[in-house]
Amino acid sequence: MFVAATFAFVLLHFAPGDAYSSIGGGMTDEIRATLRAQRGYDLPLARQYVRWLLALASGDWGWSTSQQRWVSDVIAEAIPRTLVLMSLALCASLALGMGIGAWQGARAERHVAARDTADRAVSVVTLFVYSMPQFWLALALMFCGVRWFGLPSGGAVDDLHDRLSAADRLVDRLRHLLLPWLSLTLAGAALFTRFQRSAMRDAIREPFVRAARAKGSRERDIRFQAWRTALSPVITIAGLFFPALLGGAVFVEIVYAWPGIGSAVLKGVDYRDYDLVAAVVVIGSAMTAAGSFLADLTRELVDPRNRLEHS
Amino acid sequence: MTSEVTLSRQRTLNAPATLLPMLLIVALAGIAIAAPVLAPYAPNTPLDIVASKSLPPSRIHWFGTDNISRDVFSRVLFGARVSLSVAAASVALSLAVGTSVGAVAAFAGGVWDAVLMRTIDVLLSIPRVLLLLAISAIAAPLPLVALIALIGLTGWFDVARLVRGEVQSLLTRDFILAARASGVRDSRLLRKHIVPHLLPTLAVSATLGIASTIALEAGLSYLGLGVQNPTASWGSIIQLGKGLIDTQWWLTLFPGLAALTAVLACNALGDALRDHYAP
Amino acid sequence: MNRAILRCIPLVIFLATACRGADRPTASPNAEVGGTMIIVQPAEPNSLFPPKVSDSQGLSVVNAIFDRLAEIGPELETNGDAGFTPRLAQSWTWSADSLSIAFALNPKARWHDGAAVRAEDVRYTFAVYTSDTVASDIKSAIPNIDSVSVRDSLTAVVWFKRRLPSQFFEATYNMYILPSHLLAAIPMGALATAPFGRNPIGTGRFRFARWEPNARLEIVADTANARGRAKLDRVLWTFVADPAAATTKLFAGDADFYEAIRPENKEQMRTATQLRLHTVRPLEYGYLQYNLHRRGKPLRHGPPHPVLGDAAVRRALAMAVDRARLARSVFDATGDAALANAPRVLIPDTIAVVPIAYDLAHARALLDSAGWRVNPADSVRVRNGVRLSFEMMAPSSSVPRTTYLALLQDQFKSIGVEAKTLSLDGPSMGTRVMSGDFDAFMNVWGMSPGRLGMPQTWGATGDLNLGGYQSTAFDVRLDSALSAFGTSEARRLWTGAFQQLIDDEPGLVLYEQRKAVAMHVRIQNTPMRPDAWYAGLADWTIDPAQRIPRDRIGLGAPR
Repeated sequence: MFVAATFAFVLLHFAPGDAYSSIGGGMTDEIRATLRAQRGYDLPLARQYVRWLLALASGDWGWSTSQQRWVSDVIAEAIPRTLVLMSLALCASLALGMGIGAWQGARAERHVAARDTADRAVSVVTLFVYSMPQFWLALALMFCGVRWFGLPSGGAVDDLHDRLSAADRLVDRLRHLLLPWLSLTLAGAALFTRFQRSAMRDAIREPFVRAARAKGSRERDIRFQAWRTALSPVITIAGLFFPALLGGAVFVEIVYAWPGIGSAVLKGVDYRDYDLVAAVVVIGSAMTAAGSFLADLTRELVDPRNRLEHS
Repeated sequence: MTSEVTLSRQRTLNAPATLLPMLLIVALAGIAIAAPVLAPYAPNTPLDIVASKSLPPSRIHWFGTDNISRDVFSRVLFGARVSLSVAAASVALSLAVGTSVGAVAAFAGGVWDAVLMRTIDVLLSIPRVLLLLAISAIAAPLPLVALIALIGLTGWFDVARLVRGEVQSLLTRDFILAARASGVRDSRLLRKHIVPHLLPTLAVSATLGIASTIALEAGLSYLGLGVQNPTASWGSIIQLGKGLIDTQWWLTLFPGLAALTAVLACNALGDALRDHYAP
Repeated sequence: MNRAILRCIPLVIFLATACRGADRPTASPNAEVGGTMIIVQPAEPNSLFPPKVSDSQGLSVVNAIFDRLAEIGPELETNGDAGFTPRLAQSWTWSADSLSIAFALNPKARWHDGAAVRAEDVRYTFAVYTSDTVASDIKSAIPNIDSVSVRDSLTAVVWFKRRLPSQFFEATYNMYILPSHLLAAIPMGALATAPFGRNPIGTGRFRFARWEPNARLEIVADTANARGRAKLDRVLWTFVADPAAATTKLFAGDADFYEAIRPENKEQMRTATQLRLHTVRPLEYGYLQYNLHRRGKPLRHGPPHPVLGDAAVRRALAMAVDRARLARSVFDATGDAALANAPRVLIPDTIAVVPIAYDLAHARALLDSAGWRVNPADSVRVRNGVRLSFEMMAPSSSVPRTTYLALLQDQFKSIGVEAKTLSLDGPSMGTRVMSGDFDAFMNVWGMSPGRLGMPQTWGATGDLNLGGYQSTAFDVRLDSALSAFGTSEARRLWTGAFQQLIDDEPGLVLYEQRKAVAMHVRIQNTPMRPDAWYAGLADWTIDPAQRIPRDRIGLGAPR
């Protein structure tokens, strides 16, 4: 976290100007200097850095020039929306990916992979979806969803959302969520399917499966045991791929104007809103760290062997 | 050892799972190289700014025209040059940096190893897309070379980790221990023994890396932060159609399909190679 | 994206309205009031603190919530007070020497929080607009106001430095009156970022309701307003950056008003029977701004630009551009080649002003005789080892302007000029422009009525004279045009000023746009003023016979 923050700082202060050099209009150099002084942009870099770190720690993330309010307010509003989108997509894609992948992987025992048309067909489809650039997949879904299903093309709620009845509000939220969620879920599901499939194929060949079968255990139990073993690498992958998922979410948010941190950061980039961009980089890194921590935790919970090793 | 490599190459080439994507990649590269011959029109010259702008796909303009009457098919062909070379060059850079750092960490061991690996952990925790966006906030628009450098220099962390792991395990292998014991210098050891053994890993990493980089470049260019118009890359063509998808969908569809094909081919090849080397 | 620089606004203060009938005390018949209008707009304002608002999207909201002392007439007459109607001031008196005007405020006027409007508010407003710490873009548009004093609690006196025809305009058009009782306690330096800018309180016939950043902004009728409530219940701005998404929303019936219909949407407009197309001619012109001095420091005063410092080159470039054809390509029927450095409505005598004609042969001859010879190796002209090559920028957020870049590049090539193009985000383009680090860039000026911003953009000391154009001949002509009290004399003087600009060619004037505005048929609008379509918004109504569900929401609190 700390290093990420430092990195963000260094990065943003290599900038050839600052937010105030781009404010147009009849602004004189003196006024610009005043504004810079207010934000401490005129101090030596080292002091600015310390000032920035201290401020960061105390929750002062600076002033967003693109949104004209405190960065912490911007973040506080955007983060929950991004998390809703990401967590729903993550759950759905994990469920979908693990289901399909496990089904594919389990077939490996009975079929020679090269001749298993069902397995190959599914693999081709997942490879196809996995290979689509995230923003393009989102654009394609938007084009279809808006044109043929009358779904809203952007935003999180309707303009008159708070005038709707409680039931209609829920429907409204779901309608707005559907396309961005689907875009992110499909890409995630393709990813997890691929890993679950190979993890399951490895697990099903492990000695304990043969042993269990020799003992006459029920096929369902064997599959379940194999699946539990295969779970661990998939969860590791989920943790490792968190930054990629976040990157995907950024593109999806931008395409669907979903008011999360992705949309905020793009606007920040256009406005050279360094405080906001730096904050989002730090937050993104924190989310990644949290994601991998969560993945570690989950893995230990599901895999008894891990727990033993660690104790 | 030489025989081992040759053998595996033969096996690779014979498998249809490898051959098909390989052919596709060769075809795409061929199209990119032969773009000036294949393209029916000049990619950057308007044809007729009033009569030929924003035309839908037709027999004359297969992929339609853009808003200043350039032929989109020609631009997609020329876009292949830019998109593919950006991806190839930046991945080459990633591999070079990643391999060096990984090998140094593994060889040096101790404090150096720890410091390098912790740094990489930290760098890996910064989501790449956010990092690239942040740099764009400062430096956009980037010239092509800078774009390649940027993508390359944010993509080597995985490679370094992977290579370090490989090299570490190689260093414990008998033939390496034997070589070291017989006084072979580290540089020679690296050149003659380590690098050849790393090749499969690097090949897989390179193909998968090119796939993700093509998608990344397209995404950045779509946001207007990558390749700049009028230079045609698949992403920059889509960028020109941004916000026009309701009326000029061909600007989004065709370059997108081109990118999809290329990414698909590389991913398929990467999968096949990985299955082959580590079944 | 940074409209502050791109559509620069000090001169441009888009304004509030010519609400005819704005003074009618109250209630129109009940059938006339009520309804919800949804406006879809590409970007949201930066702030609603009036001195810091200079973009048209922010001004459309500010104009509904805040009032000026008086409102310019529909003819946009800026000489004296002819045509101006009372707004926050119910009357005004000129002093005998015409160097001050006493504004008598409407005693019934109340802020939306219930407090009475006082003369102190006017004095305070002037102090804020001219404060160096606040750094308002408008400061440079009110140079002739010396001070504002308070005669009694309801009379504010505006003092001027010298007598000018535009005195009254300057005092009223540029400043929205601010509530001193809410703001005076805040240090000037903190005003721009004070919560007020996100939750404003004004005196307008609409009051602020809510603002969800990046999403929507809502204003509702102020039912207690002294000049009568706004007729619509609410106006809701919804911010959609993507033009395709915006039109989708419009055609799906989720929005009632969209300012920027593209020519490509013509077919959809024909089939969308619930929508009607209106045409607005904004006071804007688009042009290619040249840097007449060498890039970088000293800003706008350094040695001449190696290429663009040559007037012959600039004239040749103008001759090489088929402006009519370019305008047709970019705008179809909704744009025209511009005549001079103002849209036609602001050129008093459009017959007398003669633009440079499209003539490639003449352009080549001019360059030849100026010593620029074509180098056969790359077909680019050279003189004394200097290539006839420069770089043009445009903001990537503007489709018309980036399109123009590509088109100009092609046209310039035909006379042996190499123009490199660079489209980049608005703010970073703004940074380069303000530091003089550019050769040329696509710009749009939105002008204020009466051409009162001309000295700022083209005068030798103008702080928005971005290319460092210095012409004593032009300055003299401009000043006499601005100080002329007689109309026919002014007409003649303005022609001279515009012609001087055309002859010197500090920028390549390209287009003026007729904006196609799509509006739902149930909305009955007042005429849309060229400087501000939203000027009469408080008097817009919904046809009672055509109401749809969102018109029946009423003014009650949300559930």
